[in-house]
Amino acid sequence: MSSGLSRRTVLGAVGALAVLWLVAGLAFPDSWAGALLSIAASPSTHTAMLRLAVPIALAAIGGIFAEKSGVINIGIEGLLIVSAFSSIIVTFWLGSGGSTLALSHHWWGFAVGVLASTLFALIFAVVCIDFKADQIIAGLAVWLIALGLAPFASRIVFDSPNTAGVGRFQNVTVPILSEIPLLGYLLFDTPPQVYIMLGAAAAGWYLLNRTAFGRWVVASGENPKALDTAGVDVRRVRYAAVLLSGIFAGLGGAGFALGQLGTFAGGGETAIGGRGFIAIATYLFANYHPIGALGGSFLFAGLEAMQIQLQNLGYAVPTELIRTIPYATVIVVLVFVGKTQLPEAAGEPYDGDEE
Amino acid sequence: MRDDLERLLERLVHASVLERLVISLAALVAAILVGGVLVFVSGAFASCRAGLDIAGVTFCYNPMQVYYELFLGSLGHPLEGGWSPMNYSLATTLRQTTLLIFAGLSVAVAFRAGLFNIGTQGQLVVGGLVTAVTVLFAAPYLPGGFVGTVLLVPLGVLAGALGGGFYGAIPGALKAYADANEVITTIMLNFIATGVTATLLSRWFQDPNSANPQTRAVPEYAEIPTLPGVGFSGRMDFSLLALGFAVALMIAIAWLLARTTFGYELRTTGIQPEAAAYGGVDEKRMTVASMTLSGALGGVAGAFWVLMQHGRWLENVPDLGFDGIAVSILAGNNPLGVGAAAFLFGVLDSGSSSINTSTDVPPELVGVLSGLLILFVAMPEFFRMIGRRFVDTDAAPARAAGGGADE
Repeated sequence: MSSGLSRRTVLGAVGALAVLWLVAGLAFPDSWAGALLSIAASPSTHTAMLRLAVPIALAAIGGIFAEKSGVINIGIEGLLIVSAFSSIIVTFWLGSGGSTLALSHHWWGFAVGVLASTLFALIFAVVCIDFKADQIIAGLAVWLIALGLAPFASRIVFDSPNTAGVGRFQNVTVPILSEIPLLGYLLFDTPPQVYIMLGAAAAGWYLLNRTAFGRWVVASGENPKALDTAGVDVRRVRYAAVLLSGIFAGLGGAGFALGQLGTFAGGGETAIGGRGFIAIATYLFANYHPIGALGGSFLFAGLEAMQIQLQNLGYAVPTELIRTIPYATVIVVLVFVGKTQLPEAAGEPYDGDEE
Repeated sequence: MRDDLERLLERLVHASVLERLVISLAALVAAILVGGVLVFVSGAFASCRAGLDIAGVTFCYNPMQVYYELFLGSLGHPLEGGWSPMNYSLATTLRQTTLLIFAGLSVAVAFRAGLFNIGTQGQLVVGGLVTAVTVLFAAPYLPGGFVGTVLLVPLGVLAGALGGGFYGAIPGALKAYADANEVITTIMLNFIATGVTATLLSRWFQDPNSANPQTRAVPEYAEIPTLPGVGFSGRMDFSLLALGFAVALMIAIAWLLARTTFGYELRTTGIQPEAAAYGGVDEKRMTVASMTLSGALGGVAGAFWVLMQHGRWLENVPDLGFDGIAVSILAGNNPLGVGAAAFLFGVLDSGSSSINTSTDVPPELVGVLSGLLILFVAMPEFFRMIGRRFVDTDAAPARAAGGGADE
């Protein structure tokens, strides 16, 4: 059914709809289209979008490396939870507002968050690469463990599944550049996790497409046997790629927690609320392109930002229903990109000793 | 051709049943050990008046006590005096067992067809609401009393199965006809189910006499009846009849998979899609059919949650669907194994409230334990490596060169 629908067609259709919306909104400013347009055009929606994109974009870029190397990491949701929670709790323990060794406690929390996520990724790597576990089940286990561990630890420290508040990162304002119209407030007057996201997307693209390591990662997922024959250790490449997914997801989770949330709600689906799974849909849609994944994350974050704005402006919208829009979008996206070519050897453990 | 395949499948199953059992038990032990360490270590971060002092650090939690409460508390402390099998805690355990059999079967059926249905939770949420609404709608038109029970309970369960089945068919169709990965779509559909049912509830079905987000209560005679004369002390929300139905359904599903053409085609699609297609199975239709059946079982779980436990649908649905995944994986996706695994998770669920009341350890520990359990079940190679260290099997040449347990 979807074979006739290429990405280009879909993007074209979306573009046409956007133009239609723009025209309708400008022509009838009092209509729904007009109201939505003014929300979409407001600077606060844009800044909210950039901040909400952080966990999705970074988790997606990490997921690209793991999956490209042949290890499907469905546990990145768990990695986001672990890094977000541990960054908050460490900042709380050290005392928010203070600093140690000339580094503010928020940054120490951030570092520990990334470390915790990387540690979880290491466990996942050992389980999948050396013990040849089913990657989907193991990834699911990582998610479920994180889902239990965060409220468990939170209850011990705070007597509640929700942590105390620790405040957020301050905006970093670049003088002069922040005065540039439009781009200034978006890119040069923004909290640090947004810079990290933009930098990581560029770094991820460079690493995957312009370095020998990137070529090994791709080969490890497409044809591990050939890579092995060429004298590169497939196991080490996959370990490195999965650890990278842990680092990127950790940057996303800790950045989101310390830069946006300032606290962590561990009840139910936790404050991460499925953003790791949205990230997976994002990189599939972007066909494993890090910059494309960044763009895709803007789509989902933009939807969320607009929903929040609608609520803030007091529109009588069915909140619960609107909240499902990003999830429904993921399904639509998956239906249209059903033909995404998974790496040839994705999901299979590589056993160089056999045969 | 078909006979050969059948024989091959049979042999595969018999050769692996024992191994699966050993691996599941080993995984349980491993999860308990790691969980015990976690409990002990996290005790150092808690504050308490009396604990175990080691080198100036006070460890507040005693893992042995936690597991004592978890495993024996959930049965009503059979080793202490005055125990009766009709106790409150055991009834809770069996109630959870009943619901988890349905949820576990739901995941297992999809698994056997080669599909990973993470959406049992959403199917349960949707099925439960459909059950409650159908029964509430139909009750005024039907007689009450015994006749009402006989008519309304099957109607409600059927409605739940239809609702859940429809909701399961969606990811099945998306997988079959648009190649959309069912793992992601079912997870998304879980979130969507929560949002849509909450909206439906607040718009139309909210109980006007309650501040809680919930529907009105179904008439008492529409709830699943308990066996006359068998009363669990103070527990009206568990019925042995329901447990009996769950076990019967479990046997029926096992029979369906093992002995019918449909079951055979479902299993071959799961193991060898190419061979199944060669044998004339329409893979796309089988994908939709197995996801529909899986969703229907999830919906039945929701129906029993409504008609047995609460007598109404509540917005706050427990994570039975996710536990169902753990149940199925632990059971090796074998329908008959689901019964035993569901009982174990019934113990964990019921034991978590026992932990909550009798110890200071957060009951969320149980979530961590089931995650660990899944992780260990997923890595049979780990246990084979350990096994090889102690038992010399001729079938195991030096494979340990690929990396050991010390990494």
